[in-house]
Amino acid sequence: MLSRIAEAMFWIGRYVERAEATTRMLIEHHQLLVEDTRLDPAVGVEAMLQALSLMPADPEPGALTPAALIQIVVGESADPKTVLGSVAAARENARTIREALPIGMFERMNATHLRMQAGISTTIPGIPLSGLLDELSVVVGIIDWQMPRDEGLVFLRLGAALERLDMTSRLLAIDHEGLWPQVGAVTALRAAGGFNPFLRTQRALTGEQVHAFLLLDPTFPRSTLQTAIRAERAVRQMGTYVSAQQTSTLLRTVGILRAELEFASVNPTPADLELLSARASEAAFVASDAVAGAFFRQAGTIVWSH
Amino acid sequence: MRPWDEMYDASGHVRPGRKRLATALDTLGPDELLARARLRDAHLSAQGITFTLSGRERPLPMDLVPRIVDPNEWQVIEAGVAQRIRALEMFLADVYGAGEILRDQVIPRRLITSSAHFHRQAHGIRPANGVRIHVAGVDLVRDHEGTFRVLEDNLRNPSGVSYVLENRRTLSHVVPEVFTGHRLRSVEEYPARLLSALLAAAPLGVADPTVVVLTPGVHNSAHFEHAFLARRMGVELVEGRDLFCRDGVVRMRTIRGSEPVHVIYRRIDDDYLDPVLFRPDSVLGVPGVVNAARAGAVTIANGVGNGVADDKAVYPYVPTIVRYYLGEEPLLPNVETYNLSDPDQRAYVLPRLDQMVVKPVDGSGGYGIVMGSQASDSELATAAETIQADPRGWIAQPIVALSTSPTVVEGGRLAPRHLDLRPFAVNDGEKIWVMPGGLTRVALVEGSLVVNSSQGGGSKDTWVLGSDGDELPPLAPELVVDVEGPTFSAAQIRSANEARARVDQPTFHSERVRQQEMQQQQSGVGPC
Repeated sequence: MLSRIAEAMFWIGRYVERAEATTRMLIEHHQLLVEDTRLDPAVGVEAMLQALSLMPADPEPGALTPAALIQIVVGESADPKTVLGSVAAARENARTIREALPIGMFERMNATHLRMQAGISTTIPGIPLSGLLDELSVVVGIIDWQMPRDEGLVFLRLGAALERLDMTSRLLAIDHEGLWPQVGAVTALRAAGGFNPFLRTQRALTGEQVHAFLLLDPTFPRSTLQTAIRAERAVRQMGTYVSAQQTSTLLRTVGILRAELEFASVNPTPADLELLSARASEAAFVASDAVAGAFFRQAGTIVWSH
Repeated sequence: MRPWDEMYDASGHVRPGRKRLATALDTLGPDELLARARLRDAHLSAQGITFTLSGRERPLPMDLVPRIVDPNEWQVIEAGVAQRIRALEMFLADVYGAGEILRDQVIPRRLITSSAHFHRQAHGIRPANGVRIHVAGVDLVRDHEGTFRVLEDNLRNPSGVSYVLENRRTLSHVVPEVFTGHRLRSVEEYPARLLSALLAAAPLGVADPTVVVLTPGVHNSAHFEHAFLARRMGVELVEGRDLFCRDGVVRMRTIRGSEPVHVIYRRIDDDYLDPVLFRPDSVLGVPGVVNAARAGAVTIANGVGNGVADDKAVYPYVPTIVRYYLGEEPLLPNVETYNLSDPDQRAYVLPRLDQMVVKPVDGSGGYGIVMGSQASDSELATAAETIQADPRGWIAQPIVALSTSPTVVEGGRLAPRHLDLRPFAVNDGEKIWVMPGGLTRVALVEGSLVVNSSQGGGSKDTWVLGSDGDELPPLAPELVVDVEGPTFSAAQIRSANEARARVDQPTFHSERVRQQEMQQQQSGVGPC
């Protein structure tokens, strides 16, 4: 497989995942800010923007409203940290390898991208953003139904897993229970699509239990443990296509993370959880670097200058 | 007699605490409200937030204008509802036990024994924590003076709480603007409170009780709610055929064999609950479950036979019941009610049927109600005959002018419509908790006083505003990221967040490459 195609696959995986996770987080936090006005909305908006690395440098006093949250996080096509930006980046990668993708995949992403260009209402964002989640799930469905089980899919899945590690750790960086004592913990779960799975396994809905669940639950697909397991599986599959040397750093990084999570204390302290979350984020960073170093074009295009 | 309006006072001025809402609705205007109403309908249908009426699933119409309850009004409601449930719990324990209130002739014995919902089968069942009314929905109306009055108690299977939670979410999705500047008390706690009350009701000695929700099945009108509650409590939703009794223990069939069940939150009527003791033709129930409850192996919530306490012919005695057991004056008054099995009262009512509401004593859902002012002469004559044939089966009440609230009607206009309020109370045996809010039902037809969803009623999100003492002051930004544990300070976490690297794809097309690619394309289309 061409490095260029593997690279695009990897980034499609990452950006589709990012678009989905960011959108879900945005819907739930916006709703929380509308309903629970006990906390100054500006404080909640800032917590969310900080976690997404989207905090503006010097916001005007009074600028951080729930509507501003929507505007900043929905963002623009040029900034891949935002919803629009990650949709655009996924679509742009798909465009460059359109011929290597299942029929309908680029077209689906393109239609979503175009529809999103019309913008999202900052007053009633919940319904259109839920619509975006539906559309993204179609993309994931096409991948699942139609994509050949070859090295391209392995790169895509690794990208998605690394992004998910990063996004879950960003979600955990928001102090939900401290900010919204009544419904913060529920929002953290909903923002990860984990409310119902949580309720089926646990009873005490405390911030600590929620953090432990999002990090360590063995069956919840967005938990850090589950995600690390999937990342490791992808790297091991990759090993069947390339030399062991190429995947060594990568395998060590995700393998150690998976082991740390799998063998974490059964009664982790808040500090343990904090540390594990930070480790996951760091591992995602290192692993991403390792993939790029081992497989993708090293320095972009060489440009001969006069 | 002009009905009380929840938004405007008698001189047409907006009541205190409603100004922001009135302004927000003004700003939206009729066209926008119509557009939002369409959005709401699409949302409710797609989400499957429905009730089933005559076999068809329909969204419960939710009005876009919320109903506001002030903190001081709420205090009265909260205390009054809790007081009533406390007294009715003691009443149920008494009539299914020693029967002191009957011996003291405070309530006629015949009234109890003639109630369709007085079940001798429930006699001697002692719930583990003494609770029979785990969940209650008490219907309140507001008269023309603004006084909240109890219209009826629902102590069997009060439904509608799922719509309370869903209404809040839907409203904040569809018209977030109206929330601005209001501090509402959250209703989200309800499922957790219900679960903890059900766990507290488990038979003694069970360390980790299994709770289930028992539904009649997918064709029941409230199936959405049953599924909602099971999901939000994280417990199994079971049908009668999933359960069986063996050796006095209730078990559920699972892929690993059978597992014991300790608490059944049943949303099935008594009559269908146990074919051994009640209707033998019931295919929805669990044979033997009532005897298992009597043996203390399982708790049935709400209790069997609760219907005797919400019988509409017992209702006029509830203030007496409150005084008898608690020695307190009722905080929430009743609506004046005529007991038609009393010959004098009957003689008073029959010539005045056109000014009365006549209700069957064991009905619910608004079925069988005759609204005197809107009935034809022949309907009134039929009602009079029915009453004379079975006086114990009916009560009469003077028509209460239910309060009104602005409601979105045709063309996106706002017009007053009548409404009631059903707060939900959960009793865990230690405390009766009343959810801050409740189901406001609204009669969508102009002038109608019947709010039941089965009779063309809709609902409104109900906002209990936080009192000042209840509000949290905004946190100082320094305190925002306050984590437990000694390892990280707030400032460290924050700087870690700022430094958190976003991994992004290096821009793989440099500007020069992009331009050259574009030139290739341009020259490609030209003539060679």
